[in-house]
Amino acid sequence: MTAPATTTTPTGTTARTATTRTATPEAAPKALYVYGIAPAGVRTPASPGVDGAPVRLLTGSGLCAAVSSAPVRLRPRRRDLLAHQAVLDELAAQGPLLPMRFAVLSPRPEALLDQLRADAVPLSRQLEEVRGCAEFNVKGTVVPGHFADLVRRDQTLRSLALRTRRRPDYEANVRLGEALAQAVRREARRAAREVLDRLTPLAVRTTPGRTDDEQVLSVSFLLRSTDERRFRREVDALARDRGDRLALSLTGPLPCYSFVEPCPARAGR
Amino acid sequence: MITYDDEVVCAPRAGTLYDVLELILDRGMVIDVFVRVSLVGIEILKVDARIVVASVDTYLRFAEACNRLDLEHDVRSKTVPEMFGSPVAKTIGRAGAKHTARSLTDKVRDILTPEEEAEAAAEEETRPRSRSVERTARARAPERRRTRPAARSPEADDRPRSRPRRRPEPEDE
Repeated sequence: MTAPATTTTPTGTTARTATTRTATPEAAPKALYVYGIAPAGVRTPASPGVDGAPVRLLTGSGLCAAVSSAPVRLRPRRRDLLAHQAVLDELAAQGPLLPMRFAVLSPRPEALLDQLRADAVPLSRQLEEVRGCAEFNVKGTVVPGHFADLVRRDQTLRSLALRTRRRPDYEANVRLGEALAQAVRREARRAAREVLDRLTPLAVRTTPGRTDDEQVLSVSFLLRSTDERRFRREVDALARDRGDRLALSLTGPLPCYSFVEPCPARAGR
Repeated sequence: MITYDDEVVCAPRAGTLYDVLELILDRGMVIDVFVRVSLVGIEILKVDARIVVASVDTYLRFAEACNRLDLEHDVRSKTVPEMFGSPVAKTIGRAGAKHTARSLTDKVRDILTPEEEAEAAAEEETRPRSRSVERTARARAPERRRTRPAARSPEADDRPRSRPRRRPEPEDE
């Protein structure tokens, strides 16, 4: 190493540019962890933030950002994810809120305030869009079973079952089991479509999530708070009716993670 | 009249951290000028932990349940559909659902709480060992069987089995 030991290497400054993915709080000691953006005037959340740091508000341009000092090392630990969520819950309980994704840092307080100023219009517009609303997430997983019913209704399945019964062997059992698993999944997918059709009219907006063979339903609903009770009743009824095929879970009210534009600056241009 | 007992999946499950994980990690706002820290581990989290592989193991479990149905009788008495809504099918469904839910939760907990995070684990509730991990271990080394909870009854029926059952079916209890 020929560089003088007392100065940083030329690459040390790249931590300040937005595109560097490897920026570390050590390189930018004033870095802030950003939780979310709310209209100016909200109370400071009392919940401790990520890594136990106290949360404070930075106010500017009629908006305020909930921040804390960035931890030395940031990892998606369970308690930090929960802290992120708790701070946002507290803010969301007070009014509209634009939640940030986990692990978003601003290199310096000034950069954050500049950003609030530059994006004041699109951010305020988005805050108005989610005012009085909350996100509810509904997931549905396949409930295996109903084999008797499936076998009764599906001729192919029944002949496969009978064949396996008469000449049981490993291969046949695997084939029968696979066919049953597919039928069970089909049933759950149908139930998921019915659930979605019943719930969608109650929501302002919906955002689908990722599904797979096991979790066949994953949708976020943006609900007006006045519709929450109706929505819950409907989910209860659907869980009762379809519970033998599809196990539903309901999470909410949540900050509107799924209903903010990921990058308002870009969208506003 | 339909009656439900506690085990029936008739009420929606309340959400857990796992249910909002994808929202916290993948949704929400990221402003241009801000830096999203490149997190060691975040990629691991994004690995779709929900996928419980539809393994041969699962197929065999389903086939076993199906083999217990009264198929012969079934074919001859197609006009009696009540036969098919039998409690056996219901209990199997329930057991399966619970099993699936549990293995998912455990898998996620394992991912969220890696080994080196022992101090984080200490503050969590005691977590049962991941069923899937246990299963894999047992499949690889059948002689090294783990102690099973006392609640698990020994095999109640005498049919030979190619492999140990992971879970007693409700009618055996």
